[in-house]
This record gives sequence, C-alpha cells and structure tokens, in this order.
Amino acid sequence: MNHDEALRQKATEKYLLDELDPEVKDQFEEHLFDCQDCALDVRAAAMFVEQTKVVLSAPAVTSPVRVPAAAPARAGWLAWFRPAFAVPVLALLLAVVGYQNLVTYPHLMQAANSPQVVPWASVNVDTRGTATTVIKTRPGQGFSLLVNLPPEDGFASYAADLYNPAQKLEWSGAISTAAGEQGRQIYIPGRNRQAGTYTLVVHGITTAGESKEISRLPIDLQIQN
Amino acid sequence: MQLQSFDESYVERLHAGDFRTQEHFVAYFSELIQLKLRSRLHSPQAIEDVRQETFTRVFAALRSGKIRQPDRLGAFVNSMCNNVLLEHYRASSRDSSLEDEEQQDFPAVSVDVLGTIAAKQMGEKIREILDEMPERDRRLLREVFLEERDKDAVCRDFGVDRDYLRVLLHRAKQQFKSLYLKNMAARPPGVLTAEKT
Repeated sequence: MNHDEALRQKATEKYLLDELDPEVKDQFEEHLFDCQDCALDVRAAAMFVEQTKVVLSAPAVTSPVRVPAAAPARAGWLAWFRPAFAVPVLALLLAVVGYQNLVTYPHLMQAANSPQVVPWASVNVDTRGTATTVIKTRPGQGFSLLVNLPPEDGFASYAADLYNPAQKLEWSGAISTAAGEQGRQIYIPGRNRQAGTYTLVVHGITTAGESKEISRLPIDLQIQN
Repeated sequence: MQLQSFDESYVERLHAGDFRTQEHFVAYFSELIQLKLRSRLHSPQAIEDVRQETFTRVFAALRSGKIRQPDRLGAFVNSMCNNVLLEHYRASSRDSSLEDEEQQDFPAVSVDVLGTIAAKQMGEKIREILDEMPERDRRLLREVFLEERDKDAVCRDFGVDRDYLRVLLHRAKQQFKSLYLKNMAARPPGVLTAEKT
C-alpha cells in the first residue's frame, strides 16, 4: 500500500475503526511504520478518540444554584408573556408561519415535484487522458453527470469522490451497477455552488474490497447569469 | 512540522547510544506498536511484554549491524514486532530472546504523551469539536468509542452506513489535527511523559 492509496481508502479511519481486512491491515501497518505523515495522522486520530472518550464520559457540569438572601420581587421570565409583549410577537410568528405554509412551501413543493431540465454531461471512466468536461449552468442550478463505466473490467462495484475547485472532498458515494448496465447518473445540486474545476475520481472496488483509482475526470463548471 | 528523518545519520546516532535519539526512537515507535497491538492483544501486560521484546531485538540487531537499510527502519521495527507477536501467540518461551545480553529496560511511554497544559488544550478543542456536532453524531461517537457497541448495530440504530461513521471520524480528526500538530511541534523530540517500569 502506498501513501496515496492509504489516503484514498481512508485507511487511518478504517484502521482505528478496526475495519481493515487482516491482509490490508498488515499492508497499512507496514506503510505506517515507514511513513511519518500517515503515522502522524493515525496518532492524531487515536488521540482524538481517546480524548473523546474522556470528554463524553465526564458528567455534565452544573452551576451551583445561588439562593439570594433578600431578593426583590420580580416578574421573572413570565413577564414576557404579558399581553404587551406576547401579542405582537405571536402576531409576527403567525404571519411568518402563514406565509411559509401558504406561499413558500407550496412553491418549493411544486418546484421539487415538477420535471426539470438540467444541464448534463457524459463522462467516460475508461478514457485515458485529461480532457476537461465543460458544463454551463445558471446560478443555483444543479447539473447531472452521466458516468459511463467500462464494460467487464473485473470490478465488483465502483465508488466516486467529488472534489471542489479548492480540492476539498465534497462528496463520496458508491456506484453500484446491475449486470449489463454501464451508465449511472450523478446529480450535483446547484445551491451555493461555485464555478471552477471540479474533479470526479472514480475507483473500482474488487471482490476482496480493495479500491483502485481508475479515472480522474476534471469538470469545468461555468455559471452564467 | 519538522519530522525526524530515519536515515543513516539517525541509525548511526542510535547505534552510538545517543540518548536523545534513543529516547525519540523508543517514544515514536512505542506509540505505533501500542496502536498495532491493542487490536490484537487484550492484556496491557502482554502489550507491554511484546513492546519491550521488540525493542530488545531491534537494539540487538542494531548492535550487530543487521539494519542495512536505514530508510526502512520503520518497516524493520514493524517486522520485528510481527515476529515477537507470532511467538507470543504460540506461547513460546521468552528464552529465545538473547538471555546472555543485558536486558535493557525501555521506559513505558504512555500513548498520552502530553504535558498538563497541552492535554487541557486538547481536551478543550475536542469539547469544542463535539459541541459543534449535531447531537446525533455525538451520540454515534459515544456508542462506538465509549460504549464500544457493535458498529454495524450502532449504524443500523442511527440509520447511517459505515462510510458515514468514517467520514465523521475523518472530519473530526482533521479539525483536531492542526492543534495536535502544533502541540507536537512545540515539544522537542523525545521529550515525553515517560515512566520507568
């Protein structure tokens, strides 16, 4: 196992969760003892787990209750329920709830249940080379990627990671395929989405559970007003 | 953070008996050995025995010039630990470990190698990370790590899959790691909380 494979497989997390097969565990440990970056990663994660147990097992701290010797009479928090405060606040709440129920939610439900035409692009996983797929959307609009998997390449299943333009992992998911199907659609929501180059990394998963990166697909998202 | 390089110079210093190098070596690999062994051995005494025996043999190999690839020092330690572990499993006698050599005692280094102030900072950071999590995620971590329930059962109860648990741990670790690295960098190599056994 090399460093990239360890990162991609989230080997640190799997190691601490005791999810690695014995053979993969041995391979990771052999790498771990030689790779100071991975060793640091595992040690930090182990420290986090140990300290989390301490924090979660500690009883909740309650502040001591001070009883005032001579407290003047106060209305307390119940004063907020006096009509002078309560009526306008409740009226405002009623207006907000009413607007949401009568206007906002029906509009959202209609949008969610209506057919939508969204931009899409087809990406071929077995493509060698780094040709960038361009997709043009409007602000807030999602898009679809039709992922064409290679036929009969010996993998039991596939997984995909989506990296945003800052190269931060945004989403990971499994791509299961029924026999004979090579295409799968991934819908990427458009809310709060930035333009830029995204990267879809597709991995093949063997029957032994080992992951192998088979394609790294750059997607240039252009958002047009 | 500047990491110590396991190279020819390091091995030479180790061989020469340089105290700080030896202290760093034992501390660095003790933590990894303990992490490795705790999923395989349940007794703290057994873990400690295997750890000590591993270092005994590694230092013996060092003295007899058997470490030929300094940059693979880590792999050598791991391999030696595997051998000792196998012997432990077979419940073989400790007589095979060089009885005629003087048994050197390698201070037991706790996995918790933090000073008081650093430990307090780490605890506060972790509390902050946990407080920012949804209550469900906190409960998930509690049931997996503190109550040590079966992970598949916990995931089923919470309606999540194992990948969710991994990503949760990954994100929390990443948030914690920057403080962890800062604390490690602030401590000179080999300065650890060590207790003589």
